[in-house]
Amino acid sequence: MTTDVIAEARERLFVRAKREGLATVGYDVLDSPIGPLWVAMGPKGVATISFGREPSGHELRRLIRLFGPGIVPDRRRTAPAARELDQYFAGRRRTFDVPFDLRGITPFQERVLRTTSRIRYGELMTYAAVAHRAGNDRASRATGAAVGSNPIPIVVPCHRVVASDGTLGGYGGGLDVKRYLLAIERTEVPAGGWPKRGSPREDLRS
Amino acid sequence: MREVAPARTPARTFGELLERHEREIFAYALRLTGTRADAEDLYQETFLAAFRAWPPPRRDNERAWLYRIATNRAIDGARRRRGTVSVDDLRLAAPERDGVTVLDLANAIRLLPAGQRAAFVLRTVEGRPYREIALTLECTEEAARVRVSDAMKKVRAAMR
Repeated sequence: MTTDVIAEARERLFVRAKREGLATVGYDVLDSPIGPLWVAMGPKGVATISFGREPSGHELRRLIRLFGPGIVPDRRRTAPAARELDQYFAGRRRTFDVPFDLRGITPFQERVLRTTSRIRYGELMTYAAVAHRAGNDRASRATGAAVGSNPIPIVVPCHRVVASDGTLGGYGGGLDVKRYLLAIERTEVPAGGWPKRGSPREDLRS
Repeated sequence: MREVAPARTPARTFGELLERHEREIFAYALRLTGTRADAEDLYQETFLAAFRAWPPPRRDNERAWLYRIATNRAIDGARRRRGTVSVDDLRLAAPERDGVTVLDLANAIRLLPAGQRAAFVLRTVEGRPYREIALTLECTEEAARVRVSDAMKKVRAAMR
């Protein structure tokens, strides 16, 4: 059986499934310089980007909880996100126009990730600063966990969040990937650490 | 989401079900209908019915469930189909077993009513055990044997 025959049949199946409200999420595996990315597009925008060829069990459960079982391979649906990601990796895109859908996480996680989504291309923010802007100064550790739970990395740029001591902190895709993304954006963590809020270094700069 | 879960765990999404089984279901549909256009209709109807009836029944495996849906749809839809066979199309899903040619299959599609055709395809072309054929046709193993044997007699008679 040739792949083309199946692919054509599948495309027409999805038209009918979508019309009936049966296909809610379309996904595809994209090739990227940081390896394969599993990208899922829901009714309101990008719902998941997972490092690798498949989502984690946890992530898939979130999608099923939000959108039901109608999660189907559908390259046409993910094409706008794929195009923007390609441009980003090629250094030709600084912001994403494709909408994203952060539902299915806790309100705190959502606040943290909305703050994260506003960090501009090429800029960095510490976990503490994200916690502050998300309205909870003391929740730095919880903020780290919330950033780490980001279901839509790259588009919601959690790679721009780093530790106060100048180290990169963590990253779901691995620190090499975080470094790579920051290199695309020509961003480096300052040597000797990231100035803490209220620290002498910040006083010197202001 | 290929091979996300071992084949014995139930598919969690339509996509998993599709990626696991769509090729064999399309091939089965082609072997039952004889043209690519009819096979595509049957493939669509089968998966749409499966999606609508989600989740797959717990008591048997999802593959048997899909084959049963496809077979029932083929029997229901037999009157609507155009009744022609395209040998070129059939070559896309050529028989998996030695001793059966594309022409045997073309004859079977032309001559046999849908239920018997399903029995012929499952046994002669796909080499399924009678237990599985009975499950697909929703009959006893004995009845499945009779259907396969009747079908083979008809096809052989036509070859003479």
